[in-house]
Amino acid sequence: MVGMDVIDVRDITFRYNDKPVFRKIHFSIGKGEVFCLLGPNGCGKTTLLDCILGILKPEQGRIMVQGEDLSSCSSRHIPRSMAYVPQNHESTFPYTVTDMVLMGRAAHIPFFSTPGAEDHQIAQMALEQVGMANMAERPFTMLSGGERQLVIIARALAQRTPVIVMDEPTAHLDFRHEFIVLETIMNLVRSQNLAVIMATHFPNHAFYFESRDIPTRVALLHKGHFLSVGGPREVLTPDSIRTVYDIDTNIITFDNNGTSQRHVIPVKGETT
Amino acid sequence: MPSSLKIKIVAMASILAPLVCVVLSLCLGRYPVPVNRVVSIVVDWMLYPLDFSGDIPHTIVLNIRLPRAIVGALVGGALAVSGTAFQGLFKNPLVSSGILGVSSGAGFGAALAILLFHTVSATYPLALCFGILAVFMSYAIGTIYRKTPTIMLVLGGVIVSSVFSALVSLVKYVADPYEELPAIVFWLMGSLASARMTDVAIAGPPIILGVAGIWCVRFRINVLSMGDKEARTMAGHMGLTRGMVIVCATLATAGAVSVSGVIGWIGLIIPHIGRMLVGNDNRVLIPVSFSIGATFLILIDIISRMLTGAEIPIGILTSICGAPFFVYLLKKTKGRGW
Repeated sequence: MVGMDVIDVRDITFRYNDKPVFRKIHFSIGKGEVFCLLGPNGCGKTTLLDCILGILKPEQGRIMVQGEDLSSCSSRHIPRSMAYVPQNHESTFPYTVTDMVLMGRAAHIPFFSTPGAEDHQIAQMALEQVGMANMAERPFTMLSGGERQLVIIARALAQRTPVIVMDEPTAHLDFRHEFIVLETIMNLVRSQNLAVIMATHFPNHAFYFESRDIPTRVALLHKGHFLSVGGPREVLTPDSIRTVYDIDTNIITFDNNGTSQRHVIPVKGETT
Repeated sequence: MPSSLKIKIVAMASILAPLVCVVLSLCLGRYPVPVNRVVSIVVDWMLYPLDFSGDIPHTIVLNIRLPRAIVGALVGGALAVSGTAFQGLFKNPLVSSGILGVSSGAGFGAALAILLFHTVSATYPLALCFGILAVFMSYAIGTIYRKTPTIMLVLGGVIVSSVFSALVSLVKYVADPYEELPAIVFWLMGSLASARMTDVAIAGPPIILGVAGIWCVRFRINVLSMGDKEARTMAGHMGLTRGMVIVCATLATAGAVSVSGVIGWIGLIIPHIGRMLVGNDNRVLIPVSFSIGATFLILIDIISRMLTGAEIPIGILTSICGAPFFVYLLKKTKGRGW
């Protein structure tokens, strides 16, 4: 654990009408830490993230963000504490990349006002941090999926929040951009001391962060509760993966320029 | 960020274009008045508003053409701005200023007024009330299922619009076919022919209030167009912002439709012309939409009274004249990233 907890989830329970999604979920996240949320499709990862973002209200339990209870804080507290990177942003209107990133400043400027010179500077810096400054005037809709995701991450950075919540940030990306997005996240966590909560389908993402010496924790969401929470090498074992995903895996360790990195390789599914 | 020079040029053009068209509309018509005469008449009137000579050019310019031009500018601007704001709010480029039923509601109000009071002069208050009532009903339908508020709102608007269209048909059916029915039909086609200074006074406040409100939150319309979830994670008070956009766009559109009749097309296509010319950033697009809408409607009004001996209803001309212009722009700008 690094620094104080910026997000503290205390025993939250959520159900859609009469269908329970998860119960008594409990965890906290500190600055400079990556928290990977793993679990099969439909297990409630996105629902859990929506509760943390204040979009959905848990039936029981409390969520504390920077020491304030989500259910009673001001409506600006959330966008000033957490930025959100969706799975796949479909923009209707071809805004320029700069316009997109400037929207991240909305929570910091007065209600009837528009972004000023300082906000433009912050947007420009955010674009430089993700390596997209040369695309500033391009229409967002003309970018590739990977480039779009980097712009959305820049928008989250422009929001200047201690926490970034990501919902499968590498879904739909090509091989190269999946890696670039991971590297960008890793650099940001290291340089800005951000806390990142990330729902993902790839256990190897957790091993990637771990091998880069980023404080990383993994939670395996299974049948409405966390099967286990902890460091990737403790949580992601062939046994736990078999319980959650119903497949047999091998975990190999390889040498990546002097640091050892783990990798999960599926070897046998139920049907084979 | 576009260069500051470009912004200055756009700002100058946005202010100058409607003004030039106003002056043009004061000169042109069945009784042409030379530009220098128009200028001297208007300057005299501004300096000594009570000192009225009453000769023919004076009467035509000040009592007939000036109110028409002002109402035209306000109505065109209001419809275009509301359309732009609704397109952003609903993140849907096919939405127009009438999406929440304000036009159909106002149309019914006007038809009812003609049926009940047998005169066109009673249309304004009823049209305004029913236009606002229609949006209120759409909103009530939209809140039944809270999970997807914007989609349900659009659906609510479509339902309410169809109900009021049916009611308009009912009023037409029972109306007296020699007096009332033509009045209703002509009102629904839209016209500025009867606009007087009193119309400026009654349509001005709701339009100016609505447009000013949208102008104030124009940056937040960008954020709203990212969708409910993302908007809520980027800025606080998104419900308030959405409500404000709906109230303001409704006020502006209701004020416009009540005084001019149903003028289609502007609230759908002018925003797109704006998008092609200056891009999609609502900080720039909202004021530019007002300018283009105002310019366009004044020009159409000039054409409607110059083309033939009898005036052609504006609602007919907006589409016929606007469509080729739209196609030309689409070809020229290649749609800019659509």
